[in-house]
Amino acid sequence: MVSDVSNRLKLNVGGEIFETTSSTIQSTCPDSLLAALSSTPTSHGSNPIFIDRDPEIFSVILNLLRTKRLSSAVFSKQELLDEALYYGVESLLRSAMSPPPLQAFDASLTSTITPATDGVPSAFTATAGDASLWIAHGGMISVYDWSLSHAVTVRTHLADVTSICRVWDEAAAIGSGSASGLHFYDLSSGRYLGSTHWTDPEDPRIHKSRVAAVTDSPRGVFASFDCLHRENSVLQIDKSTLQVTAVIGQQSGSSAKNSVPEKLRWVPDNGLLIGSAVQRGVFGCSGYIRIWDPRSRDIVWETSEPGSGRSSRFGDALADVDVDVEESVIYKVCSKSGDLGVADLRKLGEDPWVYVSDENPGAWSADEGGRSRGYSVVHCYRKQVVAARGGSLEVWSSVEGKGSGGLVRRRNFVDKGEDCKRGVISRVEAGGDRLFVSRECMEGVEVWESSNASSVISVV
Amino acid sequence: MNLPASAPESNVVSINVGGRIFQTTKQTLTLAGTDSLLSQLATESTRFVDRDPGLFSVLLYILRTGNLPARSTSFDIRDLIEESRYYGIEPFLIDSLSNPSQFEAFDLRKSVILPLNGRDSPSTIAPTSNGGGGLHVAHGSKITSFDWSLRRKSTVLTNFSAVDSLLEISPGVLAAGATDFPGLQIIDLDNGGFVRTTLNWENVATTTTSTVQAVGSSSEFLFASFESSRRNSNSVMVYDLSTLLPLFEMDRCDNYGVGGGDSVIPSNKLRWIRSCNLLMVSGSHASPSGVSGHVRFWDVRSRDMVWEIKERGDCFSDVTVSENLSAVFKVGVASGEVYYTDLRSLGGKGWVCLGEEKKRSLDERKGVGCRIESYGNHVFCSKGNGIELWSEVITGLVGNASRDVLEERVFRKNSFAADSGENKITGLAFGGNRMFVTRKDQQFIEVWQSPSRGV
Repeated sequence: MVSDVSNRLKLNVGGEIFETTSSTIQSTCPDSLLAALSSTPTSHGSNPIFIDRDPEIFSVILNLLRTKRLSSAVFSKQELLDEALYYGVESLLRSAMSPPPLQAFDASLTSTITPATDGVPSAFTATAGDASLWIAHGGMISVYDWSLSHAVTVRTHLADVTSICRVWDEAAAIGSGSASGLHFYDLSSGRYLGSTHWTDPEDPRIHKSRVAAVTDSPRGVFASFDCLHRENSVLQIDKSTLQVTAVIGQQSGSSAKNSVPEKLRWVPDNGLLIGSAVQRGVFGCSGYIRIWDPRSRDIVWETSEPGSGRSSRFGDALADVDVDVEESVIYKVCSKSGDLGVADLRKLGEDPWVYVSDENPGAWSADEGGRSRGYSVVHCYRKQVVAARGGSLEVWSSVEGKGSGGLVRRRNFVDKGEDCKRGVISRVEAGGDRLFVSRECMEGVEVWESSNASSVISVV
Repeated sequence: MNLPASAPESNVVSINVGGRIFQTTKQTLTLAGTDSLLSQLATESTRFVDRDPGLFSVLLYILRTGNLPARSTSFDIRDLIEESRYYGIEPFLIDSLSNPSQFEAFDLRKSVILPLNGRDSPSTIAPTSNGGGGLHVAHGSKITSFDWSLRRKSTVLTNFSAVDSLLEISPGVLAAGATDFPGLQIIDLDNGGFVRTTLNWENVATTTTSTVQAVGSSSEFLFASFESSRRNSNSVMVYDLSTLLPLFEMDRCDNYGVGGGDSVIPSNKLRWIRSCNLLMVSGSHASPSGVSGHVRFWDVRSRDMVWEIKERGDCFSDVTVSENLSAVFKVGVASGEVYYTDLRSLGGKGWVCLGEEKKRSLDERKGVGCRIESYGNHVFCSKGNGIELWSEVITGLVGNASRDVLEERVFRKNSFAADSGENKITGLAFGGNRMFVTRKDQQFIEVWQSPSRGV
């Protein structure tokens, strides 16, 4: 704005004179280099402060301070990051560069992150907190920061990593499908921290157990282990000592009802652990959802499908399950109809499911063919449920509606018809207002974002 | 600071923008309007603005000349928009880029396409109410809105599984309806698609729900054509545009009898004719006995029907009215030809065929799915994958003054947009200096404009 003289500030950056106000600088980044310069007593004289940096990129940084927006300039992301780091305005750049709040129904594919070597991701995890992405590929773990720039790659001793979970800010718990034990790595230093194995001195059958799923909680890490002898259980592991503190739900067998949980979720609200497993066969899906109380190690609630009685829809067993921990809701997606089953975690009973369907034709009626029958992935993020079947990606979003009891859920395709030809979606996860998708045998992790900028394509 | 001294009576003012000195006149600055930051600057004693000088130079150029400088291509239009908003001169930027007076019907080319996310192709499109060339697109249960620069968009989710009628009634407020979902919803775009209210047909029994067939507006009224769920009655409801309170209904048709002569055809197009204070209401319907339809003109103040055209023979597949040409245009469903009738002599001559009026069998369906819209002094009619542009040629040779000109009014046709392999056109809309085209099974919007005036 129009401002008084005393507030004005002259800068000579690489020979070019810039004039701004100290309030512009102080209000946005009080701890930055610029703020420190502007508060020195000599700064308000007639002699401009000299900064030996590139003036053109500085004008972008200065406009960022003035408008809180990143003017779309010719500079690369890395150049801007480096320069913002130099001037100490990285937090401002981050908020200007981050995507707008994810509206999954309007997301579009913005980029694909492909690690340099062994680019097929075997597992990945995204975090909402600092919006970083950890990709496990070919025994390595690559870390990508909030701007999706490659931060570091750590080589682990494992031949392949099939499950990965973030246990501290910089530490990962990883499991492998080809080697036993749960292993901990500090990714910032690349240091191996230790391993935990499931052994039982009284039971010789329990050895060489491999990790199927991992999840983190304030009470420790929960990991499901599966032995070669078909014994399986969920272990609670102390994060500081890496010792097993509890064995939960040990069972043996390989049938649908007692196979190892391949998905674990921790619900902070009530301290419950939810595990699920789905087997996909020629005759459709079968599986279970089981909820444990880790304190008593008891099963609080369980359901298996196809089950008896009215608890399941005939021939329409669950295909995948996810938990919205903020809303305390379990979502399951039905293998045949594609309908969404919703169950309130606080009111679980014999048949807690409320089924929602949408007449809008979704992937489930599309011509996916027999190849991908029953193969589906569901993930929820900020009240939106993303479901994938075969190569198609769709989202269930709730709309404020009148009439049918408040909430209406609408199913929309996120992707285009040609997107699903890239391959079967193996994993979907969201974090930092981005949706990450990996496909079987395909290199890289797709990044989907919603955007306020339209991608105008010129045809002249 | 050491700004160049200027004589008190001088009109020349110097402005320091981010360290660079600009000189201009007070007149130029006051052009920007009294509310803008720039005209305030003209009265200030120290003129310093802590903004980017490069962007300011472009905006000053626009203020001086009304045109966008060629060097502006090195800036992103989004930055220019943000900057023009800061200075309060966005209307100048809009004017220099997308002014309806720059619409050049004979020089339209496909300049950009706007991709839509997801797999639904557009069901209906509506230009922004300010005429600046923005667009709202309904696709599936979503509505995506593009601003006048077409560079910024936002998407909201609706209750509808597909939107069939869409109209912006005031900036950022949409009226949306569907033929398979009851009620006309007033959607607040600035509030993330919040449904402000749902308008219903008040006069039917509360047990039945009615669906929206068409929506239209004048400067005072909002019109909505409703059909009852049993499809045996329909009506046009009139609401106050600002309060959205129902005022009255008109054009009501009921058919409770069995197999009566006229089936009840709901109106699927509502057009306000400002110069005559009339509402044009039209609808057509295909039945085994052929296509029949109606075009009615209502005087909203007296609530009287002024004129009605009943269509039985070559019924229309679409109708439009052009105020500039003072004529109603239709495209015949059987012949596929464009007809007009003069607004100034309603009921006088009936339809005059503009195309080749051959004897055609009424079994033909050449005009099915054709759309007709008017913009400026032109009428656009989509046929298959192409567009016919009809424009009036003023010759001065009125009537039979010359052997060459037999018609009373001379309309001539140009065809374009029919590239082979293109899909059938499903929608046409106009705003600013642009024509928007949607095609069957395509998840994007084509933007046609004159190449010298593109964004």
